[in-house]
Amino acid sequence: MTTPTRPSLDDPNLTIPVDRAGIFEPIPPARTERQQEFYALRDGEMLLNLGPQHPATHGVLRIVLKLNGEQVVDLDPVIGYLHRGVEKLCENADYHQAICYTDPLEYIASLFCEWSPVIAFEKLLDVQVPRRAEYIRVLAGELNRIASHALYIGFFALDLGGITPILWSFLERDEIVEMLTALTGAQLLFNYFRIGGVNGDLNHDFMSRLGDWMSRAGRQVEAGTALLNENEILVRRARGIGILDHETAFRMAVSGPNLRASGVPLDLRRAHPYSVYPELDFDIPTRSEGDCLARYLLRVDEIKQSLRIIDQCLHQMPDGPVMARLPRLVRPRPGRAYAAIEGPRGLYATYAISDGTDQPFRMRIHDPSFVHLQLLGLLMPGNLVADTMAINASLDPVMGGVDR
Amino acid sequence: MALRPGSGADAAAGGAGTTPSPGAAGGTSPADAPVEAISVPNRLWSAEQPEAYGGVPLEDAPTLFLREVEAAGIGRTNDARWSGALEIIPTKADLVLDLIRANSLWPLTSGLACCAIEMMSTATSRNDIDRWGHFPFRASPRQADVLIVAGTLTTKMAGPLLRLWEEMPEPKWCVAMGDCTCSGGRYKRSYSTVQGIDRILPVDVYVPGCPPRPEGLLYGMMKLQQLVKARRGHWSERRLGPTVPEGV
Amino acid sequence: MDRALKARLERRFGDRLAGPVRQRHDETEIRIGAGDVPEVLRALHDEPELGFTLLCDLCGVDTGTVMQAVYHLWSETTPDWLRVIADGLPREKPRVPSVTFLWKGAEWLEREAYDMFGIVFEGNRDLRRILMPDDYVGHPLRKDFHLPDDASRSPGGGVRPMESPGRPADAAETTVRRRATAG
Repeated sequence: MTTPTRPSLDDPNLTIPVDRAGIFEPIPPARTERQQEFYALRDGEMLLNLGPQHPATHGVLRIVLKLNGEQVVDLDPVIGYLHRGVEKLCENADYHQAICYTDPLEYIASLFCEWSPVIAFEKLLDVQVPRRAEYIRVLAGELNRIASHALYIGFFALDLGGITPILWSFLERDEIVEMLTALTGAQLLFNYFRIGGVNGDLNHDFMSRLGDWMSRAGRQVEAGTALLNENEILVRRARGIGILDHETAFRMAVSGPNLRASGVPLDLRRAHPYSVYPELDFDIPTRSEGDCLARYLLRVDEIKQSLRIIDQCLHQMPDGPVMARLPRLVRPRPGRAYAAIEGPRGLYATYAISDGTDQPFRMRIHDPSFVHLQLLGLLMPGNLVADTMAINASLDPVMGGVDR
Repeated sequence: MALRPGSGADAAAGGAGTTPSPGAAGGTSPADAPVEAISVPNRLWSAEQPEAYGGVPLEDAPTLFLREVEAAGIGRTNDARWSGALEIIPTKADLVLDLIRANSLWPLTSGLACCAIEMMSTATSRNDIDRWGHFPFRASPRQADVLIVAGTLTTKMAGPLLRLWEEMPEPKWCVAMGDCTCSGGRYKRSYSTVQGIDRILPVDVYVPGCPPRPEGLLYGMMKLQQLVKARRGHWSERRLGPTVPEGV
Repeated sequence: MDRALKARLERRFGDRLAGPVRQRHDETEIRIGAGDVPEVLRALHDEPELGFTLLCDLCGVDTGTVMQAVYHLWSETTPDWLRVIADGLPREKPRVPSVTFLWKGAEWLEREAYDMFGIVFEGNRDLRRILMPDDYVGHPLRKDFHLPDDASRSPGGGVRPMESPGRPADAAETTVRRRATAG
């Protein structure tokens, strides 16, 4: 079989279908009111492009900053550089296949990306998930939450210039992820949750690694954060920057740690419980300052709560099957289901519509990072360019989820 | 010295006293004979042999400025002459240069999606890519050698990525990390992704996986080091498409 | 399933509901017309007995015959999610009033619904494409926009040669089974 011919750079009729979308124009034509406002430059203002390739934008995020000297006057975030069309692909796949498509959305916390559609499909199918499977889901989910928050701490420090914490974070994350590899088989995109349960039971490798790690985890978290919490550079760069008060947070549809750092003790695991969270005992850390430092310290507290939850899961784990009996090809009754969970970044929700066939009619994924990026336009103006990275990092956006 | 391949006799005769390598004498077949090279005149020193640089004395060499080069369109043709058949006889110095290049390939931080996390995991302490010298991930393409495209490329991002590639100075290599960059991956049917970056960039090493384990990326980088030392790979021939170089 | 919520909603919005209040599992759903969106959502947001202050999702749905704009809300007063469906938008030019006056954070969600479906949100000051490039033609999540391997059935099919992978001559028809309307 011959290799198919591909276009070559020599071909005079070659057209590379890349959508330049006018990004190489200095000032694009304004299409909306807000754009007109933004591109009207006053005396002394300039536009600076924090382009899609940037070491500190957590992925492919482009921010056009309007600067007056060093101070940010206004900004226009441009997203969509990672839009992969997941919702459309899910409409053309089976229910089980659709769950695989949702993994790479918030790739750092991919079990949560699977959990939400799985609950939605279970509602459509009226499937009862075995209790052991629920406990394993909570256990694996909280491990993933700790890994995600550990990475958050590392990225937060990295964006502010510190190279050591990211190395420590990745050590932490690599250890957790090796545990999850023993459980699920994969390192980043786990593909572990199934409609009606999980893919496989706990095994000896996972349990021994988990036991080892749990005995050290508390001390490791303390050591990692002791480096940063009293670090004068980090504290002065993050305290008082990007303050979000709680009315604005509700108006901006913020959820998750960003909301709790603004004084609102709203956690979906308590406010609208799902899975076996009602049986578990944990606190909801809340901070009232609403600045970058509060968002950072809150996630450190959440790691400690997650460790408590994992401990309880291990002690309360019931026996039983880990997967409900379901046919390979599922055809739910026509209907709609909405399922929201508390992911490490906030409210992660799926709205699924079934039309009675074996493919979802519409699978809408609501990602918290998408909504939180609107906060950039509110929090950054007035601060210096150096603070933009602190604010961006403190909101913890993951561009896979933003662009879907 | 001959600029055209296949004139092994002249190369041996006009050699500057170094041993001829079998590669230059063997020459390449006329089918993939490269076209004219871009020549930037050298005003710092002149060669002793009158036949050096095609026999054209330096004062008569055409002065090429970048705009004229762009207008002439030579930059767009398949003629990258850093590798392939060598018009000069490689010396021990070239071997050392290859070793230096291979052992200090500085990647550009072009992590787009999930594979970027695995790339960062490769760069950090547990799987330390600094052991091979590839640690400084440069943020600016002007300072980078390798473009490790880690993550799905969408049509919106393809323009900026191509611009990054063009901004990188030669010699440069491209590593396609992850299934999405090799062939489109799980987004094969999508309306907004580029089905494999080899549609727009000449890829030297493909690292499959979704995402590839850090060990996988390390193996890919070691493979790239082999290619650098052997002066092979797609970048040299500017070919697009998933063909495998011989002997790999 | 909060029966009290159903009673409250019927009492408050009875005349505006375009259908019965449906409840399933922990969700309550009401359907309204596009013009009623600002008043109903303002009432849901402002009135303390209802108190739906958290916007959880805003999306568009293309049922094949009509378009819908779907809002999901959460309140402390009820254990249910509330789903508000602004139903009956025409598929050619769907227009809905924007809710950015209540939740500024709905701006990007509405931009996304515009980008994916073409639903125009009147009152959104920044209604332009967000996920697709600015000069993209077409709205990808509409039901008449087909993926590249179904390109023959799409009105814009075959325009971008890079997006049409080779299809073997003996390939069967795609196994997409679809009904014209959703549930």
